[in-house]
Amino acid sequence: MPSIVPALEWLEGLAWTTAIRESVWGYPMIETAHVASIVAFAGLVIMMDLRLVGLAFTHAPLAQIQRRLFPWQIAGLVPSTATGLLLCCIDPMRYYGNVFFRVKLALLALAGLNAVVFHLKTYRRAERWDEDPQATATARLAGVVSLLLWSGTIVSGRLIAYNWFA
Amino acid sequence: MKTKILLVLLAAGALWSVQPAQAHHAFAAEYDEKKPVTLTGIVTKMQWVNPHGWIYMDVKQPDGKVKHWTIETSGPSQLSRRGLKKADFTDGMSAVVKGYQGVKDPALANGRTLVLADGRSFYVGSVGGPNDGADR
Amino acid sequence: MFLPFFEWCDGLAISQAYRQSLYLFALTQSLHLVAVTTFFGAILIGDLRLLGWGPVAQSRAGIARSAQSVLLWAGLAVLVTGIPQFTTHALTYQRSPIFVFKMCLLAAALAFTATLRRRVAAADEGRLPSWVPRAVGAVSLALWMGVTISGRLITFYG
Repeated sequence: MPSIVPALEWLEGLAWTTAIRESVWGYPMIETAHVASIVAFAGLVIMMDLRLVGLAFTHAPLAQIQRRLFPWQIAGLVPSTATGLLLCCIDPMRYYGNVFFRVKLALLALAGLNAVVFHLKTYRRAERWDEDPQATATARLAGVVSLLLWSGTIVSGRLIAYNWFA
Repeated sequence: MKTKILLVLLAAGALWSVQPAQAHHAFAAEYDEKKPVTLTGIVTKMQWVNPHGWIYMDVKQPDGKVKHWTIETSGPSQLSRRGLKKADFTDGMSAVVKGYQGVKDPALANGRTLVLADGRSFYVGSVGGPNDGADR
Repeated sequence: MFLPFFEWCDGLAISQAYRQSLYLFALTQSLHLVAVTTFFGAILIGDLRLLGWGPVAQSRAGIARSAQSVLLWAGLAVLVTGIPQFTTHALTYQRSPIFVFKMCLLAAALAFTATLRRRVAAADEGRLPSWVPRAVGAVSLALWMGVTISGRLITFYG
C-alpha cells in the first residue's frame, strides 16, 4: 500500500500551513475554536445520551429530545471537524506519528458509526421509544456505547499532547 | 438546599476555571525536576512552531564527545511575549540553555532559560513547569 | 494577590504527588475534561431552551430542573478532578493575568447562574416578557463560553 507520508510532508511544507504552525495568533485561535466547539458539540451529545440511558430529562419524550437537539449537535460538529482538519493540515507529520491521535480517529469513526446506525434504525420509529420496552432497551444500549465512545474520543484527544510513545 | 447548590457550583467553577485545560500536559510526565541541566553549545536548528518550540543543540561533553540534545520550549505566542523572535535563532549560533532533563530520554530537556551569544536572557519555559523562579 | 494561599496549595502533599507522577496527572486531566464537557452540555441545553431553541416542547422549568442535577453531579466531578491540578500548578496561575481574568469571569458566571438565571428558568411560562429569558440565555452562553475560551488561552498567552 503506498505511503501517505510524502503527501503529508508536502502539506507540511506548504507556505500557509507553515505560517500557521509558526504563528502567534493563528494556531492558538484555531486550537481554541477546536476545543470550544467540541465541548459544545459533545456536551449536547452527552445530554442526549443521558436521556437515552434514562438518567436525565426523563420527563421529556425521547424522540423530542433527540429531534430538537440534533440540529444543534450538527451545528457544533461542523466547526469541530473543520478546525480539526485544519489542525491536521498544519502539522500532519506530528499527528501521523502520534499513537493517541490514531486512537482518537478510530474512536471517532466508531462513535460516528454508532450514531449513524442508531439514527437509521430507530429514527423512523422514534415515537415508540418510550412505550416499547424493546426500543427502550436498544436506545439504552446505544446511549451507553455513545457515552463510552465520545468520552474515549475526548480523552485520547487530550492525551495527544503527551509524547510518551514518541 | 439553595446554599448547598451555590456552594457546589462555586467550588466546581473555581476549580474548572483554573484547570489548565491544556495549560499543561504534566511536566512530571516527561521531565524530572530533580535533574536540572545547564547546556552550553551550538544550536543546530530551532523549530519555531506551535504548540511547542524545539531547540536542537550540540553540547560538548567533558570527555570530548558531542551530545545531541532536544530541548522543548514554549510556542511562538509566549516566546514573542518574552521578546524573542524567530530571527534571533540562526543555525550554528552558540547559546546556553538551562532546563530539566527528560525522565525517559537523557538527551531530552525542558528548556527554562535561554541565554543568547549577545548576552540576552529569555524565559522559554511552558506553563506548568517547576516553581524555580525562572519565569520572573 | 493571595500569594500565601497559592504557596500553601503548592506545598501540599497531593501537589507533590502529582508533580512526581507519570500518569496520575494525565488521567485526572482527562476525566476532568469529560466532566467539564458534561457540565457545559447541561448549561448549553438550558441556554438553548431559554433562547427559545432546542427542546421547546418542554417547559423552561422542566429542562432547568433536569439540567440542574446534571450540573451538580458534573460539577462535583469537576471539583474532585480539578483540585489536584490546581494545587500542583498554583504558583504558576498566581502570576498569570489571563488566569485572573478567567477567575473574574467565572465568578460572574457562577453568580449569574445561581441567581438570575435560576429564577428566570424556573418562572412559569408566560409570566415574563419573552425578551427576558432570551437575554438571560444569551448572557449565560457568553459568560460560560468566555470561561472556556479564556481558560484555554492561558496556555498560549500566560
